[in-house]
Amino acid sequence: MSAVTARPRNRILPVVKLHFANPWTTITFPWIVMLTILVLTILVWMLILANIADPVDQAKTREGFGYSGSSGFIFVYMIVVAVQSINTMFPFAQGYGVTRRNFALGTGLYFVLLSAFYSVGLTLLSIIEDATGGWGVGGSLFSVAYFGDTPPERLFVFFAIFILFFFAGSAIAAIYLRWKAFGITTFFIALAFLLVGLVALVTFVEGWDEVGAWFARTGLVGSFAWSLVISALAALGGYAVLRRTTPKN
Amino acid sequence: MDESRPIFLQIAEQIEGDIISGALGEETQVPSTNEFAAFLRVNPATAGKGVNLLVDEGILYKKRGIGMFVAEGARARLVAKRRDQFSTQYVRPLIEEAAKLGISAEQLADLIRKEQTA
Amino acid sequence: MTAVVEVDGLTRKFGSLAAVNDATFRVEQNQIYGLLGRNGAGKTTLMQLLTGQQFASEGSIRVFGENPVENAQVLQNTCFIKESQKYPEDFQPRHVFKSAAWFFPNWDADFAAELATEFRVPLKRKMKKLSRGQVSAVGVIVGLASRAPLTFFDEPYLGLDAVARQLFYDRLLEDFGEHPRSIILSTHLIDEVSNLLEHVLVIDDGRIIIDAPADDLRGSATNVVGPAAAVEKFVAARTVLHRDGIGGLASVTVAALTPAEVSTARSAGLELSPVSLQQLIIRMTTEKEMEQSA
Repeated sequence: MSAVTARPRNRILPVVKLHFANPWTTITFPWIVMLTILVLTILVWMLILANIADPVDQAKTREGFGYSGSSGFIFVYMIVVAVQSINTMFPFAQGYGVTRRNFALGTGLYFVLLSAFYSVGLTLLSIIEDATGGWGVGGSLFSVAYFGDTPPERLFVFFAIFILFFFAGSAIAAIYLRWKAFGITTFFIALAFLLVGLVALVTFVEGWDEVGAWFARTGLVGSFAWSLVISALAALGGYAVLRRTTPKN
Repeated sequence: MDESRPIFLQIAEQIEGDIISGALGEETQVPSTNEFAAFLRVNPATAGKGVNLLVDEGILYKKRGIGMFVAEGARARLVAKRRDQFSTQYVRPLIEEAAKLGISAEQLADLIRKEQTA
Repeated sequence: MTAVVEVDGLTRKFGSLAAVNDATFRVEQNQIYGLLGRNGAGKTTLMQLLTGQQFASEGSIRVFGENPVENAQVLQNTCFIKESQKYPEDFQPRHVFKSAAWFFPNWDADFAAELATEFRVPLKRKMKKLSRGQVSAVGVIVGLASRAPLTFFDEPYLGLDAVARQLFYDRLLEDFGEHPRSIILSTHLIDEVSNLLEHVLVIDDGRIIIDAPADDLRGSATNVVGPAAAVEKFVAARTVLHRDGIGGLASVTVAALTPAEVSTARSAGLELSPVSLQQLIIRMTTEKEMEQSA
C-alpha cells in the first residue's frame, strides 16, 4: 500500500482538472455559439439598417440596438454547466473515491475560474464593441447599460452574475440529486411562497419606494455585490445538501 | 476442472501426471504458480496450494530467485506411489463391476490378456 | 494476516427495510473475495457502505483501519467500479483514462491502453455512442488499471458478452498474480467466477449467511444418486441439504464424505456426483429462506 501524505490541496486540484478534462462542453462549444450569435446579430443589424433610408429613422433604430438581450444565452448556458457538474460529475467523482468535501471545494474553485475566464472574455468584447462604435452599427451586445458603464464595472457585474448562476444552479441540482422530483417541487413551492410572502410584506408596509431608493443608492455594482452574498449562501446550502447525498440505485 | 474435489489436489495430480509421462523431466523447471493460475483459470492461491503440496512431498523443490524444479528421483517415487494406489483405485472397481455383470475371475483374466495383446 | 476491511454489526436501514442487516466479517489482504447473492440481496449497498458512499445506520466499518466515510486518504486506495456508471457529458474513453490517472496513485496507463485494444474500445468516440458492452469494458479497464490496493467490481461485466467476460477473468487473474491486491467481486453468475475466488461471502436479504474459504465450500457437499431406498439408507444419519428425485431414483445432497464413506457408497451401488459452488450456494440460500419463513 502506498503511503499517502496529507496534502489537501493535491486532492482538490484533480477535481478541478476533472471538470476541465473535456473542455468541449464548457469552453469550446459556448464560445462557438456566442461568437455565432454575435456575427448573426451584427448581420441582422446591418440588414435592418440597409433597409432604412431615412437617417433620422436610422438613428432611432440604432438606439434600439442598444438593448439587445441575446448575450443572455451565455449566462443561461452556465446554469446548464452547473447542473451537469453536479448531476453527472458528482456520481462520477464518487466512483473515483473523491470525498464530498473535496468535490465541493474543487467544483467551487472550478466555478470561480470559469466565471473569471468568461467575465474577462465578455469585458474584452465589450471594450472592442465600444471601440468600434457598436461593431460599426451602433449595436450593443456586451456593453449594454445594465452590465455597467465602464469595463471594470462590467467585469465585476459579469463575474457576479456568473457566480450567482453557477452556485444557485448547482445548489438546485444538488437538491434534485438528493431528493429527486419531490425535493425540487418542494423547493420551488417553498421559494414561491417565500417570494410571494416578501412581496406581500413590502406591499403591506408600502415599502416599494424605499426598495427603489435603496437600489438607486446602492447602484448597479453595489447590488451585484449583495448578490455575491446570495451566491455564498447558495454555495454553503449546496454543500450541506451534498454532504448527505447517497447514490440512488 | 472437476467440481467434486479440491482444485489444488487436481492441480497437484496434473503435475504428477506430467512428471510420470515424462512431459516434465527431472531437474527441469515447472511453470510458476501465476502461470498455472492463468492457464487453468484459477486463483493463484489455489494453484500455490497444489504446488506446495508437491513441495512438501519432495516431488518439487524451489531454487531461490529462479523457480520451481522437478526433484531428482521424483518420477520413480511417483510411480511407486501410484502402484500402491493401483489396487484400490483401479483393480477393486474393476472386480466390483465385473461381479455386477457376472464375469468370473478367469473370464476377467482372459479379457485382460486379450486387451493387452490387441 | 492483516485485514483490509473489518465490519462489525453493520446495518443500513431504509425505513423499516434493512438492506444490510447486522453484517460482521473481515476481508483479508491480497485475496480475491466473491460477494455473492441474489438480485436485491444487498451486495451493492454493502459495497457502497465500505466506500463511504452510503452511510451506516448501525455498526462499524474499518477500511485500512479507518472509517472510510469522507476519508480521502482511505478512498484514494480504493476503486469502486459499478455496472451502471454514468459518464460526464461528451466524455470519451480517452478522457476517462486520462482523468483516472489523477485519482489512482497506482494507475498504469500502458496497461489501460493494452486493455482498450483487447476489449475493442474506441478511444475517441463519445461514451454515449458506445455499445453497452464497450461502456462496461471501460469500467472494467479502469478497475484493472487502477491497481488500487482495494478494488470493488460490482457486477460491471453484466454488459459484456461471454468472450469479453472470459477476457476480463483472465486479465484479472494474470494481473492479480503480478500485482497482488485485495479484490471484491460481486456477482450472481457464481459458476463463471467460482474458480477465481479464494474466499466467499454470501449475502441474502441483507444478512451474511456464508463466510468461508472457497476451497472449504467446494469440498463441503456431495450428491448421492441411486435407487431411492438405497440412497435413503445411506443418508439416514447425515445432514441432508437437498432432496430431489424422479420415479424410483433419488438424488440427495449431503455434507462431504470421507474416503471410507465414499467406498461404502460405491459398494452400495450409489453414484456420487459433484455439487458445483453455484448449486451449493443456491441450496444453502433457499434452505435459510425456508428456515426464516417457517
